[in-house]
Amino acid sequence: MNKNVIQFFDKMQNIDRRYIYIVVALSIIIPLLIPFNSPTFVTKPTEDIYKKIDSFAGDETKAILMSFTHDASTMPELFPMEVSVLRHCFERDIKVFTICWLPAAAPLVDYALNTAREDFDVQSGVDYCNFGYKPYVLRLPIMLGMGDDIAKAVETDSQGRKVENLEIMKNIKNYDDMNLVVDFAASGSALQWVTYARARFGANIAAGVTAVMVADNYPYLQTGQLMGMFRGLKGAAEYEKLVDVFAAYESEDYPNGRPFSKEIIKETSVPITGDTVPYKYKKARIGMNAQSVAHIMMIVFILLGNIGYFITKKKEL
Amino acid sequence: MFETISNFVAAFLTLSIFSFLYKDNPFYKFAEALLVGVSMGYAIPLVYENVFLPYVYTPIFLSHKFIIIIPAMLGALYMFRFSKNLGWLARYPIVFGMGIVGMSVPMSLHSSVLVQMRSAMLPINSINTALIFIGTVTILLYFFFSKAHKGIYGKVTNVGIWFMMIGFGASFGYTVMARVSLLIGRIQFLLGDWLGLIK
Amino acid sequence: MKRQIPLIIIMTLGFMFVAHSFIPHKVSVDFFDWFQDWAKAISPFAVSLGIMSLFMVHGTKIKRKVPNWQYSVITLTGLVFTAFAGFVWGTQSGTPYMWLFENVQMPMSATMFALLAFYIASAAYKAFRARSAEATVLLIAAVIVMLGQVPLGAMISKWIPEASTWILNVPNLAAKRAIMIGVGLGITATSLKILLGIERTYLGGGD
Repeated sequence: MNKNVIQFFDKMQNIDRRYIYIVVALSIIIPLLIPFNSPTFVTKPTEDIYKKIDSFAGDETKAILMSFTHDASTMPELFPMEVSVLRHCFERDIKVFTICWLPAAAPLVDYALNTAREDFDVQSGVDYCNFGYKPYVLRLPIMLGMGDDIAKAVETDSQGRKVENLEIMKNIKNYDDMNLVVDFAASGSALQWVTYARARFGANIAAGVTAVMVADNYPYLQTGQLMGMFRGLKGAAEYEKLVDVFAAYESEDYPNGRPFSKEIIKETSVPITGDTVPYKYKKARIGMNAQSVAHIMMIVFILLGNIGYFITKKKEL
Repeated sequence: MFETISNFVAAFLTLSIFSFLYKDNPFYKFAEALLVGVSMGYAIPLVYENVFLPYVYTPIFLSHKFIIIIPAMLGALYMFRFSKNLGWLARYPIVFGMGIVGMSVPMSLHSSVLVQMRSAMLPINSINTALIFIGTVTILLYFFFSKAHKGIYGKVTNVGIWFMMIGFGASFGYTVMARVSLLIGRIQFLLGDWLGLIK
Repeated sequence: MKRQIPLIIIMTLGFMFVAHSFIPHKVSVDFFDWFQDWAKAISPFAVSLGIMSLFMVHGTKIKRKVPNWQYSVITLTGLVFTAFAGFVWGTQSGTPYMWLFENVQMPMSATMFALLAFYIASAAYKAFRARSAEATVLLIAAVIVMLGQVPLGAMISKWIPEASTWILNVPNLAAKRAIMIGVGLGITATSLKILLGIERTYLGGGD
């Protein structure tokens, strides 16, 4: 093989890692600065969550619980999911409760609620309720207690009000009514919901996880123990699109959103360049552009590294 | 103006952490020390307001449920953890909290083992279900280290290794996605909220 | 007796909880309610352990003037000031306490994790080598899954997302399920060991 090529790959094998860091940074900065429209393909695990939540639309006897078990470090993946779910609930008049188990998650819940409710006329205690921070050591007792009586298990909300006195709790007693729990976590905490809330009380559990936990949670998805799963930033991007296309859709025939349809979601594309969709509702899709470029860059690194390895190995032989 | 200063502080601290990529430096050390202190300091008032006041102070002093004094005193025993002579007192609140582990025996057996086993017992009517069955069994056999992985047994467990490699490859692919997503989030903050280049 | 009594407590409570899992009778429910109330009252004191530990470690560093002891002063100052801000001005939105969280703690903890993206890229280039057939299979699976997650994969070929889904639904499922069964058996075994007093590491050292 050409001596120059071997020398080139030799040099490349020993390149300072700080050059690699610069390439990584640029591969993310450039797509974020120059957004482009790319298709978002919605997959079944995300669709199933959308359909389940949407089935509670306008039903006073049903609610969903959003459980936040993460801190600010995983916000980029989980926050867009949370805002999209809240937006869906507010668009379609679905009662939503939020709860968190880590001190660092408490302001994230407030931030998500404040971000989503800006555009809606919703009231705390009536349309939504934030149960607030409950210490992690009480997670199991509260999880199990909500199977009998949510108001008794949780006691007070984040504002110190007695949950049993709130208007939102009319017709909501336990998991039979608050029938879907969506757990947003960067760990395997959905397993606890599946083990205790689903196994014992039959609650439907969905998980919003960071991409690193997706592969580990697949068995639960396949067995039906998890009825759906948001898979990292991609899952967030898919849900953003679903809410744009269905829940937030307004027309004469559908003044408060339209029902889910597989054909419509396949054919419709929502442009993210321009001002049609507010930035806060398309963050994940913009992020996916950078994700695409970063993945290509990573694959190129793996290929280059291996090509260089085999060439230098051949030279040694 | 206030928001600009806040964004500037957040951006300065973000870039201080990123400066570690070049090399370890005083800015990074400062940011790291501050993070540890602020994280801990943040938890204290939150726990006080959300846990101590509703579950200890209110039941004892406002609702006069004096029996709660006993668990409160039990909780106070945590503080003896670092004492040389009285460290054994801290075991009591720990074991009380751990008592609930009794529930995890039947429940984890159900969710992690029995349901998964039941789901693995699929009718082998397609190549995919056959592969899932073979993969599950060979990997379980691989993790049985009481028998030497030699001969036919070794060949069978080798099949398990191949399945695991594909599984780990999938995990790696998703891990890359997760890490890159976190970086995207920070850069979105720097370019959007701080520099105002993304709207 | 310093170890025996806690072991007796955990055995008693543990077996009561095992029974509680299967018994729907009011006695069982009342027992659980009692435990809940007591666990809630004990829990806030656990944070004192973290505070004490931090003060002990950093206080010692400052006292002995070890190299970089000044950073320990920053840690303790951050802790005291943040806690003070929370107690004096409250923890609602708009207070100095929340400002510290949103502009100091949140950005820094997110950035710590963001550093990992750079390290994984560096590792991908320098360390991930197809040295054996198994390693090659791992890398190929990783590449297919990475491409399957982004729109570009579908644009290159419709088989890439399908292959990615197949990898997740078949070999990855088999691998994770087997590992999960193993982990589940491990959790059950460890829980039983704790219940029966065989596993005692949570009691700590000493007599």
